[in-house]
Amino acid sequence: MQLEDIKKLAVLARIDMSDEEMVKIAKDFDPILAYVGQVQEALKLSEGISLDKKPENYFLHNVMREDIITNNRGEYTEKIITEMPDTQDGFLKVKQIL
Amino acid sequence: MINLINLTIEKAHNSLKNGEYSVTELVNSYLEIIKEKNGEINAYREVYSDVLEQAKIAEEMFKNGADTLMTGIPLAIKDNMLLEGHIASASSLILENYKATYDASLIKQLKKQGAVFLGRTNMDEFAMGSSTETSAFGNTKNPLDITRVPGGSSGGSVAAVAMNGALVSLGSDTGGSIRQPAAFCGLVGLKPTYGTVSRFGIISMGSSLDQVGPFGKTVRDAEILFNAINDYDEKDSTSIKNEVRLKPLLLKKKIGVPRSFLSEKGTVPEILKNFDESCKKLADAGYEIVDVSLPLIKYSLAVYYIISPAEVSSNLARYDGIRYGLHEDGKNLYEVYTKTRGKGFGKEVRRRILLGTYILSHGYYDAYYNTAIKVRDAIKKELTNVFLQVDAIITPTSPVMPFRFGEKMEDPISMYLSDLFSVPANIAGIPAISIPSGKNKEGLPFSLHIMAPSLREDILFTIGKDFEKLI
Repeated sequence: MQLEDIKKLAVLARIDMSDEEMVKIAKDFDPILAYVGQVQEALKLSEGISLDKKPENYFLHNVMREDIITNNRGEYTEKIITEMPDTQDGFLKVKQIL
Repeated sequence: MINLINLTIEKAHNSLKNGEYSVTELVNSYLEIIKEKNGEINAYREVYSDVLEQAKIAEEMFKNGADTLMTGIPLAIKDNMLLEGHIASASSLILENYKATYDASLIKQLKKQGAVFLGRTNMDEFAMGSSTETSAFGNTKNPLDITRVPGGSSGGSVAAVAMNGALVSLGSDTGGSIRQPAAFCGLVGLKPTYGTVSRFGIISMGSSLDQVGPFGKTVRDAEILFNAINDYDEKDSTSIKNEVRLKPLLLKKKIGVPRSFLSEKGTVPEILKNFDESCKKLADAGYEIVDVSLPLIKYSLAVYYIISPAEVSSNLARYDGIRYGLHEDGKNLYEVYTKTRGKGFGKEVRRRILLGTYILSHGYYDAYYNTAIKVRDAIKKELTNVFLQVDAIITPTSPVMPFRFGEKMEDPISMYLSDLFSVPANIAGIPAISIPSGKNKEGLPFSLHIMAPSLREDILFTIGKDFEKLI
């Protein structure tokens, strides 16, 4: 893999990295991608595989819940605010976006 | 001084019940060992300051007759489990000072039962590793041989029990992170069925693979701790309702061995020899050992190193320096993100996030991620079919013996391969256990790995207990 590609990935993943580390990652990626590329060969072998018997206990289903408030107003506010890096008047403070 | 070396949960429970010693005395015995050994082993990242208060609560439960098997049992938890008011850092700089704002569901359950949390243990950063060497806070040493790694990623949790610094402990397992370290330190480690133990309040790595489970010195200890946390939780959408969980069934007493998978290159000959001896012992104990054909299972690790980095890259997007955790300032929002994440994440975590980002990118998504999902489904089917013939499938737990520090850090593939035999259980979501199966000339442990169908942990415990007697 080329260094330029790793640079693009680092931008997408929002991680600041040195060129030196990106060169190393570019080098590491080739054997990793070659190894995981085996799935193509596995896909060919996978064709036609089906279950011999339907499992008795089929427990997969979608999980939903009512869109309702389950806690009291302000119940967790204090605890959560304590973990924030920067706050003002009980609000999370972030850099200007526009 | 209480003899901790052969202590089990049931023995401790009986002694606490009979008043031979108090919870405080038991806890103090563990604290002494930790004080003596943790400096060298580095199993614990932190011993909680309220341990003795927790012991008092447990003592009250005994007085009131409200005790359970877990009451007063001193245990260690992995640094990725949320215990309100205490730091949970996932052994990463990005969460170094993050204090949990709520209890994980399994912590709540254990608190209700009066278990005593001794402290949180060192791990590979965000559970990414097989040796605990990627922790931002130093290596954990294998208590059986301090020149070697304890395995990973739950290396601190396994070392805590192996050095007798906790009676039992909890780890998390995404590709082998409970079973491989159990194998490296001569303990029992269980990865339960996906969906049995709640993950609410566990710091996520790969959400379709992660599962929490116990470490213990015996199969029975692992079983007791598993039973204590094995419950439906409405806060985890992947949790399985109690009414559809299977009841124990009679065993066929038939165990399958995937011979061609074992002969994959790289498995150490002495491990294969020990494995054959284990098969013979199980045959002597009345189990029929048969060869089973699982042509796809060897691709599990390749599937894993696509699905897991993909899930990692999206799960770890939440660490952005805005709401909690490390915050590095920059001239704009973009710089806050890149600087925080650049400084907060270690090398292996960065490598895997980038790998996941690549795998999920537009041009490669089909070739990698979609293909891996299809193969994963086929592997699950292949295993389900084989489980119609046999109760369980056995292999060694790891193809390699506990290695030395630094030995595999420069070669990611060789590090990843140490999870070759443990990964299929995560890919299929089935339960698996690793059980000590003897030692080599240098005193390093061998381990037997047993897989069972979904929700059939009972099979692992039955075979495990039978096997344990023969070692």
